[in-house]
Amino acid sequence: MKRLIGLIIILTITLGVAYYVSQNLTPQKSLHPLGKFYLKNSYFGDYSAKSPEAVTSIVWDYRGLDTLFETAVFFIAIIGSLTLFRLSKEQSEEAKQGEPKRELPEPVCAVTKIIVAMILAVSASIALHGQLTPGGGFQGGSALAVAPLLIIAAYSKYALEKNGLDKTRAIIIRSIGLLGIALTALTPLLVKGYFMQNQPIFPGKALGAPLGGSLVYYNLFEYLAVGAGFTAVFLLLSIPEEKFRKFLGVKQ
Amino acid sequence: MIELHLTILAITALIGLTFSYLAITEKDLLKAVAYSAVQAIAYAIIFYLLMAPDIVLAYVAIAVGIYSALLVFIIGKTERYEVV
Repeated sequence: MKRLIGLIIILTITLGVAYYVSQNLTPQKSLHPLGKFYLKNSYFGDYSAKSPEAVTSIVWDYRGLDTLFETAVFFIAIIGSLTLFRLSKEQSEEAKQGEPKRELPEPVCAVTKIIVAMILAVSASIALHGQLTPGGGFQGGSALAVAPLLIIAAYSKYALEKNGLDKTRAIIIRSIGLLGIALTALTPLLVKGYFMQNQPIFPGKALGAPLGGSLVYYNLFEYLAVGAGFTAVFLLLSIPEEKFRKFLGVKQ
Repeated sequence: MIELHLTILAITALIGLTFSYLAITEKDLLKAVAYSAVQAIAYAIIFYLLMAPDIVLAYVAIAVGIYSALLVFIIGKTERYEVV
């Protein structure tokens, strides 16, 4: 009852403020000059990124350094959680011991299998089509990370580890992704370009499909880095609490 | 057409507000996670109506999938009910 009163008060205040503000609003009639620049240049203009998708060309080309530092922040966040859960060699071996048994009824597991396959396909298309349609490396990578999460929920983490995707491999895939981003950013320096330059160093088209120069490489490597980084953290988080108590020597 | 969009926008914004209030005041933490996921779906619809499909793709995967699952893992490591 108390909750309901609070909810009604909040809704009334919000609606009141929204009504008051809407009386004094003037709609924007024209585009921002910076927005005009991006829309004109992302594909056709003199400063073209050779990508019809303006958002991706801003994210990885015009404002590429911002995204590079965002990736660095994400990298540090993952490193932080890996450090919190650090285990010795024997302990991480023991954490892998367990039965990959079904924890949920049969139909749930069957549906999970189909959905995991679909998620893999959709996430790859989000990431690798990032220079043509909305989407990109981060979006695709976070969609990819849902697939191991579903397997952990339906089958337990041991099923994932028995099939070859353990923490070490996830970290290796993530490092390959980050290394790829760094190398793609450094490549223009070899041909006297500047850091993170896109055109005209990278090819704009291959087999008739626009690649957006370096955008497709950045999207691919970011996809691997984000997906595998999240997976590593989930594998650590899903270690049962009893095992952690044993490792840390905590008494119940 | 724009009126229809604005009406859906207003309704989903109110649904999002209601469910975030419910998530904050709920004592059963698993229920609170479910409320927060509903709020995330409402916000994803808002982002779509505001023509930000790039944000929708990241937001749906993170706020509905990863964030909820992360909180469920963490609740599994503590207790289900919030005691004040």
